[in-house]
Amino acid sequence: MPPVSCLKMPPWIRKDRPRSVVHLNITDFAVAVERMVDSRLKGHPVIIAPEATARAVVYDMSEEAYQAGVRKNMPLQRALRCCRDAAVLPPHPDRYERVMQDLFREVLSYSPLIEPGEADGHLFIDVTGTSRLFGPSVDVAWRMYHQIKARLGLTPVWSVAPNKLVSKVATRLVKPTGEYVVGDGEESAFLAPLPLVLLPGIESGDLCRLRELNLSLVRQVADLTLDQLNIPFGKRAGMIFDFVRGIDPSPVLPAGQRPRTIMADHEFGNDTNDVAMVEHAVYRLVEKIGATLRKQGRAAATLAIMLDHSDGLRRFRQMAVRPPSGNDITLFETVRSILYLAWTRRVRLRHIRLICAKPVFPPAQMELFFSDSVVIAQKRASLINAVDHIRERFGHDSIGMGRSLTG
Amino acid sequence: MTASSSPCRLRVGTSGYSYTEWTDAGFYPAGTATRQMLPQYARSFMITELNYTWYQMPKAQAIERMRQLVGPDFLFAAKLTRTMTHEIDPDHWRSQVGSYRDGIAPLVQSGQLAAVLIQLPPHFDRSEKNRIYLSALLDALNALPLAVEFRHVSWAVDRVFDALSQRGVTLVTVDEPALPGMFPPLGVVTNPAFFYVRFHGRNAAGWRSGNMQKQFDYDYNDTELQEWVDRRITPMTRQTDAGFLLFNNHVRAQAPKNAQALVRLLAAANLTTAKP
Repeated sequence: MPPVSCLKMPPWIRKDRPRSVVHLNITDFAVAVERMVDSRLKGHPVIIAPEATARAVVYDMSEEAYQAGVRKNMPLQRALRCCRDAAVLPPHPDRYERVMQDLFREVLSYSPLIEPGEADGHLFIDVTGTSRLFGPSVDVAWRMYHQIKARLGLTPVWSVAPNKLVSKVATRLVKPTGEYVVGDGEESAFLAPLPLVLLPGIESGDLCRLRELNLSLVRQVADLTLDQLNIPFGKRAGMIFDFVRGIDPSPVLPAGQRPRTIMADHEFGNDTNDVAMVEHAVYRLVEKIGATLRKQGRAAATLAIMLDHSDGLRRFRQMAVRPPSGNDITLFETVRSILYLAWTRRVRLRHIRLICAKPVFPPAQMELFFSDSVVIAQKRASLINAVDHIRERFGHDSIGMGRSLTG
Repeated sequence: MTASSSPCRLRVGTSGYSYTEWTDAGFYPAGTATRQMLPQYARSFMITELNYTWYQMPKAQAIERMRQLVGPDFLFAAKLTRTMTHEIDPDHWRSQVGSYRDGIAPLVQSGQLAAVLIQLPPHFDRSEKNRIYLSALLDALNALPLAVEFRHVSWAVDRVFDALSQRGVTLVTVDEPALPGMFPPLGVVTNPAFFYVRFHGRNAAGWRSGNMQKQFDYDYNDTELQEWVDRRITPMTRQTDAGFLLFNNHVRAQAPKNAQALVRLLAAANLTTAKP
């Protein structure tokens, strides 16, 4: 009898119809892309890390470098001691983004349900119900693999499984090369002998707690009841209970749904820790996000900032915008707070990304009583409207806020 | 049950069994989950061809779990993995043979391995390099029941059949569209232990479409199947101990439908097939 899930199934996932989820993973994605650009790197150890910084850390590395002991987030100096003949290249996010788009295009004809990762060489494709058109899902997955290899020169690891969780574990198991097919009903038996560290969704805190309980394999945790898991894990118990049984109802999001996240990036010409310069850059990012939101008739309910320091360390913070807004001036107040939550190191900044995840419709409810805040909000709205009109007619640079001008 | 008039034991089945569209087509009862398909299939047939082992190296645990879903008399023919037929890595194929042997070991141990099907690609012609490779591959797979399916016409020569006979390797007899360069349907027996027939369908228009749903979309009529019984199957049963007849035209469950039709025609010709 199939195990009972604690997680709620989305209404469009039918329990009586097993799903077929393909996971494609380009191992060491950044290195693979750099090798596409420069074929001389093939067969040689490669480390991707920001150059010319004293405390840079490794962003990605090739299999050869991994075998030599190099790991992600390891200080570059230490990594180079492990692998002296490695070629060190700076990260090129734009290249990775472009290849992700190429990958996306290659699989687009097979299913409308394609969920790419964040420029990391991962793609989930739900091919459930396409067999009458394209044949068995394992053949579809192999065709995708073959097509990507022939047209892009990349060799993905691939898997087919009944859900995203199991398909991801399957590719983790066979990388750097290979494939894995997990049939419907085999999820639990497939996961049972594996170490818990391979399960996505089990966080480092969970792993520590499980280690304290002397549990390191999936089957050991699968032997526990939900009540037993409730004691150390509380609210997370249900999720862990399902994951160790290979139950994951999360859908593969339809193609085009992910870009609902609005992002804006700024790369500093020279790395900086100048407060005024950083605030100017951040305001410009707010303007970009705000303009997109207003064009879509949406408002931001959550904003996040990702800071990349010169040494490769990344900081991420987010905060709710209350009430949701699409006004630059209001958004900047929140963004500034997030910036100072994230920016706690003295190391200079290289790159800032502002992210607005899941924009919402602006609140329709108006204030009941007239107050100063209402007046301010109205004035801000008029001002930004006027700026939008001028920019629409005379170009973006025809008018700007003083704070966005660099001194 | 075995043949009454001939000592040759025949088994009819399909290439693969896990197709959700077979539920829509009525072969499996509505609501049959993927994991229930093999036991359900085994109610109709006594042999199947494992397609997935072409895509993925078989793993002993998964094969053993699958084996336990059917009775001990049910047989499996396992395709050789693509890394030894279509995507050969000269440096690694020997280690792949070792992994493959490990993967199918549960079937060997239980006596349920009908054959290892070595399906070679259309571009694999009878060049010197390919001859040397095939010879080395057959040596490496020695002691397993082997069946070789050629797709290139250059292999249709007596010297190849003689060499297969000497090794005790079965030449797969194929039914497929009569297109230029394709290996012809030949009732040549190279192994007295068993013959092996694969019915791919005769969809000439879809054969090179690159889409399995078009390539294997064909419905054999009784006249075509009767011709096979009379012209090839009956003579081959006189030279062999066993015969495996597999349908690959899986689209819209035409394969199981045609397989059941063939069982009826074989019975009418006094050739009895193994029944569940």
